[in-house]
Amino acid sequence: MTLAELQEREQRWLMQTYRRAPVEFVRGEGASLWDSEGREYLDFLAGISVCSVGHCNPAVVAAVREQAGRLMHVSNLFYSEPMVRLAERLSSASLGGKVFLANSGTEANECAIKVARKNAHRRGVENPEIVSFERDFHGRTYGALSATPKLAENRALGPMLPGFRSVPFDDPGALRDAVYEETAAVLIEPIQGESGVYPLSDETLLAARQACDETGALLILDEIQAGIGRTGSLWAYEQTPVRPDVLTSAKALGGGLPIGACVLSEALGDVLEPGDHGSTFAGGAVVSAAALAVLELVDDPALLRGVRERGAALCEALLELDAVREVRGRGLMLGVGLVEGIDAAAVGADLLERGLIVNVPEPGTLRLLPPLTVDPTQIDRAVDLISQSLLSCRQG
Amino acid sequence: MSAEKLPPRPQRPPSSAADAASRLATIVDAAERAAAGVIDDAEAQAQRQLEEARGRADRIVAERLRELADELDPPDSEERVTGHLKPVESVERDAEDEDDEPLAPRGGGSAGARLLATQMAVSGASREEIEERLRSGFEIDDTSEILDAILGPQA
Repeated sequence: MTLAELQEREQRWLMQTYRRAPVEFVRGEGASLWDSEGREYLDFLAGISVCSVGHCNPAVVAAVREQAGRLMHVSNLFYSEPMVRLAERLSSASLGGKVFLANSGTEANECAIKVARKNAHRRGVENPEIVSFERDFHGRTYGALSATPKLAENRALGPMLPGFRSVPFDDPGALRDAVYEETAAVLIEPIQGESGVYPLSDETLLAARQACDETGALLILDEIQAGIGRTGSLWAYEQTPVRPDVLTSAKALGGGLPIGACVLSEALGDVLEPGDHGSTFAGGAVVSAAALAVLELVDDPALLRGVRERGAALCEALLELDAVREVRGRGLMLGVGLVEGIDAAAVGADLLERGLIVNVPEPGTLRLLPPLTVDPTQIDRAVDLISQSLLSCRQG
Repeated sequence: MSAEKLPPRPQRPPSSAADAASRLATIVDAAERAAAGVIDDAEAQAQRQLEEARGRADRIVAERLRELADELDPPDSEERVTGHLKPVESVERDAEDEDDEPLAPRGGGSAGARLLATQMAVSGASREEIEERLRSGFEIDDTSEILDAILGPQA
């Protein structure tokens, strides 16, 4: 099937919820992808921070193959070892409490919202509220969507769920003022990803922690994009002065398979009970085996040190470019702010032509999320391609 | 009520050397099973104790981290008015912008700074990396006190 035929049939058979780039990928290995015509691309998006251990990482592929050949699915009405081992590993590597495994990031946040509301009801709150930051992105199911202010404005999809409010991004005063006894949780990203890679300041995170402690609200950190080694530590919060009550994870956790996880602090104990929440596929044996393989690879001090070092090198090299105004982020989660007058969308399209995949989350910003296993020569090549593209787009 | 007479019990056949060997084997087998059970119980008990010890250690660390978070110094009202810290990883190239929005000073020994340093140390960050974050995020000039307390004195 040619690309043109594929595009025509996609338009005929799939709901048109995406604008796709005109490329069909057929193979991946490490930080490289190959299209249907055999052309190689350097992938600095990694499936939006999913393929963090590289495309088709041999350890993940082996774990999937082995488990798929033995047992794929039994539902959550029975026990299966990979699920339990994954929950144990996730919890012991983070907050130490109970885990709910889900199929995606938005589902992980749905679980966190339920936990927060139920926890609030337990302390007598009648109308619990969830507070988020403007430009936060927490997902597209209705609970998570209601906590995603920009998308929640879409009246065509309304009404949203009640009990959500947002405050200006990184404003500790506004956050403190918004949190009171009826607040069930502060649900925030430690580094906003979809809006263009904006890290929260330490002061705001401390204000959030303090406000939650004073009112009994839960601090929920959405590490769906920033977690699993992306910032140079297994969890982004480990490089901040706070520790959340609830942590949500997804994306890179499955190594390319769909998964989500909501982890509670040990102090929360059992909030949800039988009947409160569930999922047919969640915690499936194959995806759990894949996630265990991913954690084995990523929860490694040498790999995490490499992420920090390569991230710093990439940041430094990008700042040398005249058209780069600023570089935001941590580790290998970087937002590259371009100087005024350069169309980031045009740069993104031009880079794809040159064989480098990046993302443009907002006008004026390129988002770079390469695999954590990217090597220094690939970073040099990416910087070279970005330099050429910026020069070309500036002149054009 | 009627009562029937029970049939007579079958009589045990006369013992032989083969029977004795069989009974002995049964006894030995039962003894071995009992011994294996004792070993399994001991292993399970040891495993339970190990897990409890691990759990206790985890709880102590978690409680310590929580205590540090709880000890946060409330930012004073002046800080609220004069603005707040910029995202620490935002590397602005325009020095004038930085002058427009000065960083708010914070206490050098705040619990938040100590928690940050602890978490970064646990996650494998180097002394230099932690020091840089403490300087940029908390404006602590002398980081040695915190770093020495967490990482030990520098050799």
